[in-house]
Amino acid sequence: MRTRTKLLAALLACLMILTVGSAFAEGETVTINFWHHYSAQSAENETLMNVLIPAFEAENPGIKVNAVSHEWAELHDKVLVSAKSNALPDVARCDIAWLPEFQKMGILVALDEEMPDFAEVSGKLLDSAMSTSVIGGHNYALALNTNSKIVFYNKTMLEEAGVQVPTTMDEWVEAVKKLSGENANGQQVWGWNEPALAGWNICPFIWSFGGSLTNEDQTVATGYINGPATVKAVETFAELVKEGGITGFNSGDIPMTDGFGTGRYAMMLEGPWKSAELAGAYPDVAYGTAPIPAGEGGSISVLGGEDIAMFNSANKEAAWKFMQFMTSEFAETEMDKCGQIPVNKAALESETVKAADYAPFIEAIQTAKARPTVAAWSEMDNDLTVAMTAVVTGEKTAQEAMDELAAKWDELLK
Amino acid sequence: MITKSRLNRTQLIALLLPGLLLFAAFTVYPIIRLFWMSLCDMSFSSMLTQPFNGIENYKEVFQDQTFWTVFVNSIVYTLITVPGQMAIGLFTAILLNGIKRFSVTFRVINYLPVVTSWVIASLVFRYIFNTEGLLNYFLWKVVGITSSNIRWLDTRWGGISVAMILGIWKGIGWNMVIFLAALQQVPQDLYEASEIDGCGAWGKFVHVTLPGIKGTILFALIELTIGGFNVFTSIKMITGGKPAHQTDTLLTWMYYKAFSTGKFGYAAALSFVMAFSLGLLAIVQFRMMRNRDN
Repeated sequence: MRTRTKLLAALLACLMILTVGSAFAEGETVTINFWHHYSAQSAENETLMNVLIPAFEAENPGIKVNAVSHEWAELHDKVLVSAKSNALPDVARCDIAWLPEFQKMGILVALDEEMPDFAEVSGKLLDSAMSTSVIGGHNYALALNTNSKIVFYNKTMLEEAGVQVPTTMDEWVEAVKKLSGENANGQQVWGWNEPALAGWNICPFIWSFGGSLTNEDQTVATGYINGPATVKAVETFAELVKEGGITGFNSGDIPMTDGFGTGRYAMMLEGPWKSAELAGAYPDVAYGTAPIPAGEGGSISVLGGEDIAMFNSANKEAAWKFMQFMTSEFAETEMDKCGQIPVNKAALESETVKAADYAPFIEAIQTAKARPTVAAWSEMDNDLTVAMTAVVTGEKTAQEAMDELAAKWDELLK
Repeated sequence: MITKSRLNRTQLIALLLPGLLLFAAFTVYPIIRLFWMSLCDMSFSSMLTQPFNGIENYKEVFQDQTFWTVFVNSIVYTLITVPGQMAIGLFTAILLNGIKRFSVTFRVINYLPVVTSWVIASLVFRYIFNTEGLLNYFLWKVVGITSSNIRWLDTRWGGISVAMILGIWKGIGWNMVIFLAALQQVPQDLYEASEIDGCGAWGKFVHVTLPGIKGTILFALIELTIGGFNVFTSIKMITGGKPAHQTDTLLTWMYYKAFSTGKFGYAAALSFVMAFSLGLLAIVQFRMMRNRDN
């Protein structure tokens, strides 16, 4: 029985290869391959397989979607390998951090050049989220879902210390200082937790202080990453670290969720996934959320999320239809029920979105910025961590470290 | 006789061929391919073309400050953990060799760390040495010899030291078993003869035991040196290279370069630098042992 099934599968596979080749010419069924990293057992995957794809196929007779689920990291590596062997899918859901790398490899389709109705389609999606797909002035993807970070604060700790939720960066500095020290049990407590010193962690401060990482075109860093506002942000952060107000990025520190849940960290900047984590591990901790405090540059958080992109080898017409469908109000509202924050403006207006757990994040997303969309970002990000480490350990001054970083980044951005 | 050996040769080749083919496909070919990769530009921008760029990757490795940091880390790790676990392992083996009862029990106890998973052992060590971990609690709250938490894991040498302690602790059992086997091979009459010649316990150790297990020492030395350069899991789990790659070792750095920054060419070159260093060390170790022989 098993051998027969296998034989049948092999035969079918052969047939499929034959049909894919001839389908387009004869106007028969087209199959597009869609790779994603919704985990196989998740509610997202169920929605995709049982609601979205059937709806799409009913709307578009003649197009079939073959969706394949991968692990997050595996998908990235799989695309790298498949590019070499010409086995890329038509469409993939990509972490926003991967796009610049894939673009640099030359495997993505510039949608704004190839799709005549691109402007109309992208106009329905959030501008901030769409900025994650702009590389070298062209759009290589559509935003699919998004997230950002906001302040989580421990209500009890703030009340006991008589501290108001900070709304400006000056208030934030004071609050962090007041909330740090020792608690009633003689344990050390910190006003702020920051689990790493990478771009995801430091960018919100740089941007809110009015600084920037590079110029608009992402070609030069000198004058931006070592500009006065950026240096001020780095200095302020490092000063608070040295005074014992911020911790979390050291190997020996209490992990973020544990420290926040047990009242050792008073505040942190985190994403929508934290609510579920806290509800599971520390259901008793009373916490509130607020936007990141505003500085000279406003209240600007960092964007995360995923885009949906098309590869060179795709059946472009069918792939484009599928991408439009996945970012449509219907699909985004369905995915929103699984906790995926939509980027479709119409979907964002819906009642379910307004009532969702992540509602406080939606405001932050409107103003949040994307980290540089350049292929060298992973290296730049590492350089930033190294530079920040040198500043918080007092090895270098903020200005020295950022000057050196700017020179390195200029090289990488060339 | 001659025909028979010829026949044997054909049989021999036939029997060896499957193994050799596998060896060629999964060891020899990847090494050659990796060497080629180390001579090509392989990063995100050149993944599809992979142009030849000579020794550029090697230049980049040697000009990279972080490479020297992680290289020194690997050497220090090896220099301390290898003699450390060998000395303690040998000492344990000698003690065990001398007792008649409970020998198996002690052997099992000493061997337990070897069969423990690296990941779990690393996590336990992390909990012990955390800033709010067991050790600080013990030193401060129980014994009272410190008055604040010491940041064991947060500095370069602190983090590496914890990984080294783990490495030694985990390696003692393996050394013990190897040396125990070797000790039992040393002829008993040599000990008796040296006793007649007036050797004490130390004299017997230096003049009989050590020369008797020299082959095993060399074997352990080379195996453990390779193991020391290959340290990965403990570093990844305990410090993750923090702060700013200062506790990374050759392998964790290689992994980071290849899979986080997509610089496969650099990582390939780094692996050859590492293999070359290890080969050089092995030659030196063989030489040293041979000299002592004369």
